[in-house]
Amino acid sequence: MIVPFGHVLMLAGMLFLLGVFCTLTRRNLVMIILGVEVMLNAAAIAFVGAALHWQSLEGQAFVLFIMAIAATEVSVGLALIVYAYRRSGSFDPSSCNLLR
Amino acid sequence: MIPFQAEDAIHMTVILATLTPLVAFLLIMLGTRARKNLSAGLSLGAIAISFGCSLLLLARLWNVREPLEYSTRWVALNRMEIPFGFLLDPVSLLMLSIVTLICLLVQVYSLGYMAGDPGFSRYYAFMSLFAWAMTSLVLSSSLLQLFIFWELVGLSSYLLIGFWYEKFSATQAGKKAFVMTRAGDVSFLLGLILVLVHVGNPAILEMNSLDSAGLMPSGILTFAALLIFGGIVGKSAQFPLMTWLPDAMEGPTPVSALLHSATMVAAGVYLFARLFPFFALSPTAMGIFLFIGTVSMILASTMAMVARDIKQVWAYSTISQLGFMIMGLAAGGYFAGVFHLTTHAGFKALLFLCSGVFIHTWHTNDIFELGKGGARRLKIPVIALVVAAGALAGLPPFSGFFSKEAILAALALSSHPVWLAAGLLGVFLTAYYAFRVLCILLFPPSAGEEPSGPVGGLAPAPKGSRQEGSSRTFIWPLIILAFLTLLLGFFQGPLQHFLLGEGKALLVDHGEQAGWLPFTALFLSLAGVGLAWAEFGRCGAARLSFVERIPFLRELFSRRWYLDHFYHFFVDRIVDRGFSKLFAQNDNRVIDGSIEAVSRGTLEAGRFLAFLQSGMIQYRLLVSFAVMVLLSLYFFYRDSGGF
Amino acid sequence: MIFYLTGGLIVASTAMAITRRHMVHAVIYLLFSFFGTAILFYLLGAPLLAALWVIIYAGAIMVLFLFVVMMIRTDATEEVMFPLNQWLPAAIFGAIYMAVGAAVVLMTPGTEVALPLMAGSPREFALYVFQNHWLSIEIVSLLLLVALVGAMSLGRGKGRDRTEDEA
Repeated sequence: MIVPFGHVLMLAGMLFLLGVFCTLTRRNLVMIILGVEVMLNAAAIAFVGAALHWQSLEGQAFVLFIMAIAATEVSVGLALIVYAYRRSGSFDPSSCNLLR
Repeated sequence: MIPFQAEDAIHMTVILATLTPLVAFLLIMLGTRARKNLSAGLSLGAIAISFGCSLLLLARLWNVREPLEYSTRWVALNRMEIPFGFLLDPVSLLMLSIVTLICLLVQVYSLGYMAGDPGFSRYYAFMSLFAWAMTSLVLSSSLLQLFIFWELVGLSSYLLIGFWYEKFSATQAGKKAFVMTRAGDVSFLLGLILVLVHVGNPAILEMNSLDSAGLMPSGILTFAALLIFGGIVGKSAQFPLMTWLPDAMEGPTPVSALLHSATMVAAGVYLFARLFPFFALSPTAMGIFLFIGTVSMILASTMAMVARDIKQVWAYSTISQLGFMIMGLAAGGYFAGVFHLTTHAGFKALLFLCSGVFIHTWHTNDIFELGKGGARRLKIPVIALVVAAGALAGLPPFSGFFSKEAILAALALSSHPVWLAAGLLGVFLTAYYAFRVLCILLFPPSAGEEPSGPVGGLAPAPKGSRQEGSSRTFIWPLIILAFLTLLLGFFQGPLQHFLLGEGKALLVDHGEQAGWLPFTALFLSLAGVGLAWAEFGRCGAARLSFVERIPFLRELFSRRWYLDHFYHFFVDRIVDRGFSKLFAQNDNRVIDGSIEAVSRGTLEAGRFLAFLQSGMIQYRLLVSFAVMVLLSLYFFYRDSGGF
Repeated sequence: MIFYLTGGLIVASTAMAITRRHMVHAVIYLLFSFFGTAILFYLLGAPLLAALWVIIYAGAIMVLFLFVVMMIRTDATEEVMFPLNQWLPAAIFGAIYMAVGAAVVLMTPGTEVALPLMAGSPREFALYVFQNHWLSIEIVSLLLLVALVGAMSLGRGKGRDRTEDEA
């Protein structure tokens, strides 16, 4: 394996940016959550790279937790989205403004 | 640090004491909600086990001087370590016993009070959740863990205050309590992070040991102490975040009893006692605490003098008594504060539970109505109420007398006589408003001499079934608490021994330098009682307090010093309308201004800012992303010293 | 070289995913991206994580997305793709973020050295996790349970959320 740590980080950064972009610009609740998943993916890659860089399993352990958090977030988030869709009939985030 | 060892009997007892209410909560929520008696039984059984365990612990560890800590590592980063576990020392054991005892009594009492309520099982589930959060908070070994349970306590009190969610005012009150305590909690969290960054370990024992002083510069230490105190201010409803507590009376009365005596608000003072050595490192912070405690005590006492709602009077008195505890602690009287916390838990629960009997019987909160309805015919609650009010007023031989003496003695040792004078004034006011309520309840005027003014307007109370008030579940908790109130004062010596230990120097030295103090305080409380009697009790009295004769003061006090108005004004006008108007104006000007030179960018910016107020989630996300990016830019520049 | 191939695959498929108008397509593109991530994990010495990633991310989470998207049939054409007032600020801050990130990575010494190999065998990894993080594992499992209950109670729908006190 002859990849510098910096390149792994750059890849993770690019992915993170794509995720942020998706979350911020798509007017669709499902795509917003999808963007969050991409961001978590990027974080996981960075953690695995860091584990290799410092020769410690701590980073890999964190990826395990990221996976669990992602599963939680997706299940609750999607349930909320389905709920919101039933109420308002749309995936548009601007239709969820009852609290306004 | 002792690692987890399951075979250790003490350890098992602790786990049993904290976890059984949680198990009860889960069982009720998941399984037995449909069956009321089973749910109540589960909850009661759990809290009874918890109480038994805490007594067992208290007995086992009565003579143990070293604090016991059972903890395991939760997260360890290279410099920080966050432990997770239990800390058993005299304060936490004492508090644990109080909490579980009051919870148990209140739950027994609620059997009668909440009978027939459609949400009976839900009520008991929340009670169990509350008990779990509070016991775990008390035993937390690290500040972070304490914070987690602190939030849980806030959540469950929100659920209980807004328990009757069909009532608009109840949900509003719950929301208010939640939001206002949250304001304090943010500051608590910031202080916590500050400590974590500098000390690297939020374990309470580490923070209290003196080395933490070396790790933090004194300015930072004062700042951190003040931030953490912000959390206490929010939780214990001190000035200026105190207005949520009277509104929290919307919940069922047993809930108020629980919130006000041993759990929610006491958590703040408990945290103060817990971190007492840490706070004591910063004299500046202690001075500010003393000031805040004094201000809230005096303000709340004055509010209590004019309130007509019996629960609100006790709510204000809670604020003022908590202020009194904080004064005592801040003046260096560690034992005095904790002792008053203990006695206050007993007599305040008693006051609320007695009032609950009246309210349940006559369905009104107004003291004048209750007096006319014939509150004095319920013998046992009235006797209990007299005992509790006596304790609140600080009359011997009730428990309040002893703990107030201790606090006053601590105040006498403090730097400036102003604090002592304020404390004495507080004693006078407390006695006055406590016996004002009592006199109004016990000596109603005969129908002919109804005074004019605000008293008349309300509909007469329905004459409900008089026997309801004397059902057994009501009476027993009252009797137990009344005896506790009577007897607790005489345990001052052993408690002091337990809390402080023999070896350590007593922070409060009784007797010699302030021999006149108990007599003065006693005289003042008697004067308060006498004044209340003269104005409300005796035959043909005007039934108008001296405060109510002065319109300005009456307005000021009954409007809670206009604090609420100020908050409303602030949130409504300035935050909501002000900003959105600003943004809208910007928008309009940009669009209507017909200035082509204004670029499309500003137009978008104006519209963007207006959108920020539109409640759409992505704009908020965008702002947080932008802040993160700018922060990273800042740190990058700072660390690389610019390009 | 496999690293750069996989990395290119991941970035490309993610970019495709976030620009699709049709949500089913987006999910399937993202699936490729996650498979690529799993390969990457394997290359970087985390075989157990690679397997878990395929099982959990690609297998469970993405399928969950697919279910939801297909369950709620909607013609996605109504969506305004990339409105300017959201697109522009995101792009500006994204550019700053990328620049700062690249500068930090390039300026930190040690990032250009090739990574050493490490054999994080499943056995070692499991031992490590359960020795050092057992409490966190318990907390996370509790969190999953709570999420399960929450998703269930949300999913029970409108008709039943008023009935809790009727019993």
